[in-house]
Amino acid sequence: MAAVVLAAARLLAAEPAAAAAPTATFDGHIRPFLVQRCHVCHNGVVRNADLDLQRFATPETILTEPETWEKVVQRLKTRVMPPPELPQPSAEEVHAVTGWIEGLFDEAERRAPADPGRVTARRLNRTEYNNTLRDLLAVDLMPADDFPQDDTGYGFDNIGDVLSVSPILLEKYVGAAEKVARAAVFGRAAPKPSMTKYQPPLAKIEPCSDVKTDYDTTGLSLPNAIHVVHRFPVEAEYQFRVVMTGSRPLGSAPVEIGLFIDDRQVEVLPLDLEGGATFDRFRQDLSGRTREFRARVPAGDHQVALSVLRLYEGLPPSYEGPNPTRRPPPPPPAFEPPPGLPEDRLAAFRKRYEMRLLELAPVNEARVRHVEIVGPFEPRTGPSPASLAKVFVCGHKPGKHKPACGPKIVESLARRAYRRPVTAADTDPLLALVTQARRQGEPFEEAITLALQAVLVSPDFLFRIERGGEATDGGPGRPLTPHELASRLSYFLWSTMPDDELLGLADRGRLGEPEVLQAQVARMLADPRASALVESFGGQWLQFRALESVAPDRERFPLFEDGLRLAMRRETEMFLDSVVREDRSILDLLDARYTFLNERLAAHYGIEGVKGPQFRRVDLADGRRGGVLTHGSVLTVSSYATRTSPVLRGKWILENLLNAPPPDPPAGIPRLDESTVGASGSLRQQLEAHRTNATCAACHVKMDPLGFALENYDAVGAWRDKDGKWEIDPSGKLPDGQTFAGAHDLKSVLRADQAAFAEAVTGKLLTYALGRGLERSDRRTVRDIAARIAPSDYRFGALVLEIVRSLPFQRRRGEAQKT
Amino acid sequence: MNPITRKHLSRRAVLRGLSASIALPALDAMRPAFASTPAPASPTRLAFAYVPNGVTLADWTPKGTGTGFQLGRILKPLEPFRDDLLVLSGLAQKNGNALGDGPGDHARAGAAYLTGVHPRKTAGADIHNGISVDQIVARHFADETRFESIELGCEESRTVGNCDSGYSCAYTNSISWRTATTPMPPEMNPRMAFERLFGADDLNLTPEERARRARRRRSVLDVVAVRAKELTGSVGPEDRRKVDEYLTAIRDVERQIQRAEKDGREVVPNIEKPSGVPATFAEYVKLMYELQVVAFQADLTRVSTMMVGREGSLQAYPEIGVPDSHHPLTHHRAQPELVEKVTLINTFHVELFAHLLERLKATPDGDGTLLDHTVVLYGSGLSDGDRHTHEDLPLLLAGRGAGIRPGRHVVYPAETPMTNLFVTLLDRMGIPAETIGDSTGRIGQLTEA
Repeated sequence: MAAVVLAAARLLAAEPAAAAAPTATFDGHIRPFLVQRCHVCHNGVVRNADLDLQRFATPETILTEPETWEKVVQRLKTRVMPPPELPQPSAEEVHAVTGWIEGLFDEAERRAPADPGRVTARRLNRTEYNNTLRDLLAVDLMPADDFPQDDTGYGFDNIGDVLSVSPILLEKYVGAAEKVARAAVFGRAAPKPSMTKYQPPLAKIEPCSDVKTDYDTTGLSLPNAIHVVHRFPVEAEYQFRVVMTGSRPLGSAPVEIGLFIDDRQVEVLPLDLEGGATFDRFRQDLSGRTREFRARVPAGDHQVALSVLRLYEGLPPSYEGPNPTRRPPPPPPAFEPPPGLPEDRLAAFRKRYEMRLLELAPVNEARVRHVEIVGPFEPRTGPSPASLAKVFVCGHKPGKHKPACGPKIVESLARRAYRRPVTAADTDPLLALVTQARRQGEPFEEAITLALQAVLVSPDFLFRIERGGEATDGGPGRPLTPHELASRLSYFLWSTMPDDELLGLADRGRLGEPEVLQAQVARMLADPRASALVESFGGQWLQFRALESVAPDRERFPLFEDGLRLAMRRETEMFLDSVVREDRSILDLLDARYTFLNERLAAHYGIEGVKGPQFRRVDLADGRRGGVLTHGSVLTVSSYATRTSPVLRGKWILENLLNAPPPDPPAGIPRLDESTVGASGSLRQQLEAHRTNATCAACHVKMDPLGFALENYDAVGAWRDKDGKWEIDPSGKLPDGQTFAGAHDLKSVLRADQAAFAEAVTGKLLTYALGRGLERSDRRTVRDIAARIAPSDYRFGALVLEIVRSLPFQRRRGEAQKT
Repeated sequence: MNPITRKHLSRRAVLRGLSASIALPALDAMRPAFASTPAPASPTRLAFAYVPNGVTLADWTPKGTGTGFQLGRILKPLEPFRDDLLVLSGLAQKNGNALGDGPGDHARAGAAYLTGVHPRKTAGADIHNGISVDQIVARHFADETRFESIELGCEESRTVGNCDSGYSCAYTNSISWRTATTPMPPEMNPRMAFERLFGADDLNLTPEERARRARRRRSVLDVVAVRAKELTGSVGPEDRRKVDEYLTAIRDVERQIQRAEKDGREVVPNIEKPSGVPATFAEYVKLMYELQVVAFQADLTRVSTMMVGREGSLQAYPEIGVPDSHHPLTHHRAQPELVEKVTLINTFHVELFAHLLERLKATPDGDGTLLDHTVVLYGSGLSDGDRHTHEDLPLLLAGRGAGIRPGRHVVYPAETPMTNLFVTLLDRMGIPAETIGDSTGRIGQLTEA
């Protein structure tokens, strides 16, 4: 296994952290153990599992194969080996042997020469590609949306080794280069209007005739609205065709429908239902009624919401709602018995009619069913001044560019696109393209566009290749060139190319100066582009990116809808953003006393006093919420569609917050069966039964209690005291003996082991920063960084700075150096 | 719904014709355009449809063998195509097994399915699988069609985090592999798949402008290919692997541009350009199948792969009364109500597959129908999803391409490598391949009882 599990968090160690028996020696203890317990099946002749342990006759030979021995240790610790049918060693024996092996590697690690590790040329991933074009050419086309998904490794989609170039991707690069280059120089071709229909699953509304006075009058927090995120291809006019459903009491004033874009009310249109077609003469019927909005929207992702405004206003006075309608009450529907109704049934029919006249209709049903977004219309045409300025650096008027400027333009484009100084070897072939096109009679602008197309398909643009500089200063590997450092910084913190300030500092050779570097990191974290860190790093580390594709069971979670889904994501993004911007301690991620809520999410959490659709910072008092573990986003993505899974959540905590992923379950052992809850006992009882199996217990004794602590939160993160008929018991005990009464306690336990959590976060952020999986040689770096930021109370800015200053970030293994 | 190819008619004329009638006979009117294509007889097409997480084998395997078989519950929706089916029992992908690598059966099942190779266990550093059979065929026919192959999928959701027990998501994201290190990512968006096949982006341009742009693209590719070659000489071995991959892709695209120019046909699809991913899963899958039919019919490609879901898929199917995520359901430990739900999902997938067969069979091609000249392999890389078994895989062939004689259920000796099927199929298609993955020889009974 290439991935190296960093030192498991101490609190989860299966035994007290006492060191292995110091007296154990290889010849006296370890080798006899191996001979007696292992060699019989794993020798030069019988190589079960393709493993020959006999070869390892000295500690030195053991050190040559750390991966093999990591597996051996894992198999011993989990008591998978020796197999149950053979005589079993005592716990002390196993402890002594595994402790000795681990000690051997720890010691070797301390003595090993520092190694910056191997970083493979990184292809821009989809996010980076879009962002880079935005900054390189001021083009907001986002062509990478049409590229195939990037594969992920080590939990992230920016890993050089994993980002491959398939023929289809290259085909898309070629097409995108043409599209983007033409858009920058000539303006983008107006796309034909197209229609996208959004018909999200709706939350269930229980019909009710009681009016409310204290509610969100924008309607955005009510299930009557719909919320979608739409990607607008270009700045233009768009049409929003909304289709309604539900009913209103007869005689109500027209409903008002509001269009909101990014939480801003853009337009309100009334819809008068009186006298309209209806299946039910006693109600106003909204089914199928439509309204069309039109609005100009900038390119990019925007949140679109359509709602019924002031839902409980404009009702007939008999409903006693606020601001009732002044419409004269309509005549009651006439009594119209079906013709030929027998006399004896007529009385009953009349009685029902009279009852209906007195009955109050539901007042909360009017809602938006779906929306169609059509466009673009009247898109901005012609090249944008910003794009022209990025390309035509000589600054002439469009159409009047001087051919003499060709070399200057090409040089500037290549330098910025390749993110480094360029030489004639870089620019000559591009200039040859310009000349060739000119010779074929193409206008100057077309010729420049061709060179730009080549720049955008060039490997120097698509990949971040670090190949400059061979000189070594005696340290391990070689220091990065200033431009390589600039790119590492900008793609780490911004997911885009270095800006002029970074490139300028690199040009002058000053970026590596400690004060300059520190100031730049601070500047970059304060820049709006740092939101990429929240979305790309945060979204993958905490996995809230997966929210967009979860599909909680509609029967069990009837109130889950897209407004809630978006709100959950927003909460976690804003929370992470606050940690970044306010330079807070990363420990706050575990148990902050605040979060960000709007009315919809607050209602979901059962938190009172948050009114209206706007997100705002909310102080948390009751201990039920606080920290990412209690965010709806995290709780939902770590559940199945129909139910929670303590195992899944426990594993989630071990992997993402403690960087101590549980070892893989032994092959052939059936998955734990969590699905029969309620049949023969609570989920907890059943899981505990499972743990009587020693092999399972070895890992589940760590995973399950963590997950059980979160059982008060259901599969979409709402609070609950019971699961079906079973009372929830969130208490637990960790292998080291610490106990907790529930989620709140668990967070304190986790927070108490600050170093473990800090190392886990460091490991994740370092993986993301380097774009490679961490290796054994990185353990030291991770520990050092975590230790260094302790005095600053683990502030996020300090963590980023220490990563940026670390050996693997600053240097690279020499090209000739062997792995 | 037929694509129409032409050399002589103006596109406008064709479009006018289409708006008036999209019935099948329209195709015959266009016969001269087809006749100008080089292939003398109808070529054989090869399609692979993949479903994840295994099936309920008891409900899958037909009763009886030979021609007297009875379809079980899952395959019942294929009853109308019984005579076009060759259900294969007993084949195995043993390289999907752990073989000392521990858990990760889903990643291995997906990765080994068309390669027969044991994928290297890595979260990313050194991904290594094998070339997949569809890509062997694609290379063989590379010069005959505009696209060597198409890869489609119906699981639009992004994968987040790690995919399966220490395996990079690359292994579960693609069943098609160009080389041991380059997966072919499936296109999940029907609109994009459509635009790739029919160049819908370019439809506004004059033929002259399109030709000019193709020329310019070629000169761009020339320049960057030279640059990539320079780089391969000056970067370290790991980076060189990346640059080589890039260079290979450049050559593929160059060839594709050349083929499109040589082909010269303008293909006007007779289906509307999809606006995106349809709202329901059923419509989504059917549309993706439809695009394959259209591509085959116009002979734009000979090979397709389609992932109805990724291995380990968590897709829920509330529309058929299964709101649960697929993968955890398959770990049912034989509890009847959970097994039932798995069977429902399996059956639903087969119902959608029936749509592909229906469309292939309804589409005239040469002296018969498209189904007569196509071989479709439908199946999963796991048999029992609960126990993660890689033997007795649920597999069936449909169609009569490559001289297959369907209408039977054939049972092979246990653990016959599935790759033997691939080698035999390639024999039938005239493609020399001594071995593929772990193949040990040929299998009989594909063309004779």
